[in-house]
Amino acid sequence: MRYLKKFIDAMRIIVKNRKGFVGLILLLIPVSMAVAPNLIAPYNPWDIVDKPFLPPSSKHLLGTNDVGQDIFSELVYGSRISLLVGVSAAIAAVFIGTIVGLFTGFYGGLLDDILSTITDVMLLLPILPFMILMAALLGQGYQNIVLTIAVFTWPGIARLIKAQVMSLKNFPYIEAAKAYGASSMRLMFRHILPQIYPLIVAFVILRTGGAILAEAALSFLGLGDPTQKSWGGMIYWAMNSGAISSGRWWWIVAPGIMITITVEATALIGYAIEEYVNPRLKGE
Amino acid sequence: MSGLIRFFIRKIIARFITFFVILTLTFIIPRLLPGGAFAYLVENPNIPPDLRQVLIKQFGLDKPLLDQYLAFLKQFFTTGNIGISFSRLQPVSTVIFQALPWTITLVTTSIIISALIGMLLGLYSAYRRGGYFDTISVAISMIIRSMPGFWLGMVLLIIFGYYLGWAPLFGVYTYGYQYSNILDYIGDVLYHLRLPMITLIILSIPEYLILMRNSVINILGEDFIMVAQAKGLTDREILIKHVFRPASLPILTALTIDVGFSISGAMLIERVFSIPGVGRLAYDAVYMQDYPLLLGVVIYTSALTLILVTIIEIMYSFIDPRVRLE
Repeated sequence: MRYLKKFIDAMRIIVKNRKGFVGLILLLIPVSMAVAPNLIAPYNPWDIVDKPFLPPSSKHLLGTNDVGQDIFSELVYGSRISLLVGVSAAIAAVFIGTIVGLFTGFYGGLLDDILSTITDVMLLLPILPFMILMAALLGQGYQNIVLTIAVFTWPGIARLIKAQVMSLKNFPYIEAAKAYGASSMRLMFRHILPQIYPLIVAFVILRTGGAILAEAALSFLGLGDPTQKSWGGMIYWAMNSGAISSGRWWWIVAPGIMITITVEATALIGYAIEEYVNPRLKGE
Repeated sequence: MSGLIRFFIRKIIARFITFFVILTLTFIIPRLLPGGAFAYLVENPNIPPDLRQVLIKQFGLDKPLLDQYLAFLKQFFTTGNIGISFSRLQPVSTVIFQALPWTITLVTTSIIISALIGMLLGLYSAYRRGGYFDTISVAISMIIRSMPGFWLGMVLLIIFGYYLGWAPLFGVYTYGYQYSNILDYIGDVLYHLRLPMITLIILSIPEYLILMRNSVINILGEDFIMVAQAKGLTDREILIKHVFRPASLPILTALTIDVGFSISGAMLIERVFSIPGVGRLAYDAVYMQDYPLLLGVVIYTSALTLILVTIIEIMYSFIDPRVRLE
């Protein structure tokens, strides 16, 4: 019950914000597809239901693909994998980033120097070639894509969490807790971490969008999981089946629009939470 | 002056150390994996047994790790090479050096043009804060940032290449065409690179637009702007003389971060437009399981980023001398 109340409170905050409201509405599209694809999609996306390469018609809203599967049904079922990869990669990255940020922000010193150096370098380098290398060496499979995205996106989060922890640890209530004999672990996880929960939630939502884009990029380079349907994978197959040189724009445009809607929705909701956490941002 | 030189040397040493770490990582990674260095660097049906022996000798794969590491470094710093590409049976360095100019051209032109356009649009957006232009440009920027970049390239290619016929569908040359002179050649290449460059520019503008807009809004609130207005300067004079320069300083810092993003973006765009740059190589390497080539792409894209970033930082130190003091 406590969690339900918190969830309703959070929703109320997001809906009150104009950006957050628009974001939630947009997010309903992919989420409803992912929750009940069988109610929305007319066919099973794996079934060969018609001739290949059919253009859009009332029978097949977005035509059929290179083997005769219904593209609209692929799109609906694809939201599951895309969202799942996005959310799990974001949670993994935020988890690593939070732990690292908490420790470096709390202890500072050498630990902080090492982290700052790693973060600076990782923010500077082009991460795509590194992600390609890691995904190629780990092999196909969505858990590997999730791992790859998480490994290369935590540093930015760690840096932001660290800044928060550094300012929080000088608050009087932390000193009071310390005076009562609270251990470092207790200070970090019982007294500082709960203060940054809203920020962590905002990061997970914001990073979900980034992770969906990263998954699409890796799938587009042929590193996706061929046993699963995702939006990035659909664009990959459309490209490889000559959708551009034969003018089948619907096959490419549809999954891209779904990605854009989802990423935009996460960005808007993320901003709404950030504005709530840090009201100074309002109106910028 | 000596402070300036010391600043340059310090920057260059720091970047070199970073590069050395990356080089070492690309040495370690294949050796940590199941199967080890043999499986990832020489064992491939494409490589004939006699060449395999030469490679094993050249990289000392039958020797202890430290000797291998020294041989690897010696190879890299004398020839730039790190192995033989399985798929092309050429030294990795040769393959990459043919591809790099394409990527460098795409990345540098798109960074320069998009930064200029983005800064001007951001300046105007901030000046007209809350107006139609501002609202629309910020909204469009947010939408562009949510798109997969390569997808935007595909959409533009279908519209302008397939339906309107204004741009070629793939490649960087017109096949079978005899060039009469070098200008003819450059013209043809630019004709082919036009659409991918426009795509990359569109993708990078939002970052600069938003940054510049926020930066200008901050500066417009400063006291010296009020003084300038009191002196009777026109808005145009104030924006150009008193706002543009201080507002563009944070953009230069953002440029350093953007280099890495632009290279990643260009690699994906190369696959869309079939440009034979390093992104295309990375795709081929994944497809053919050509690990030496993939490692080469990682090494050389990192080196390219570090060099471009260092150049930008040095330029920045001339424009804003304060950074040399940090």
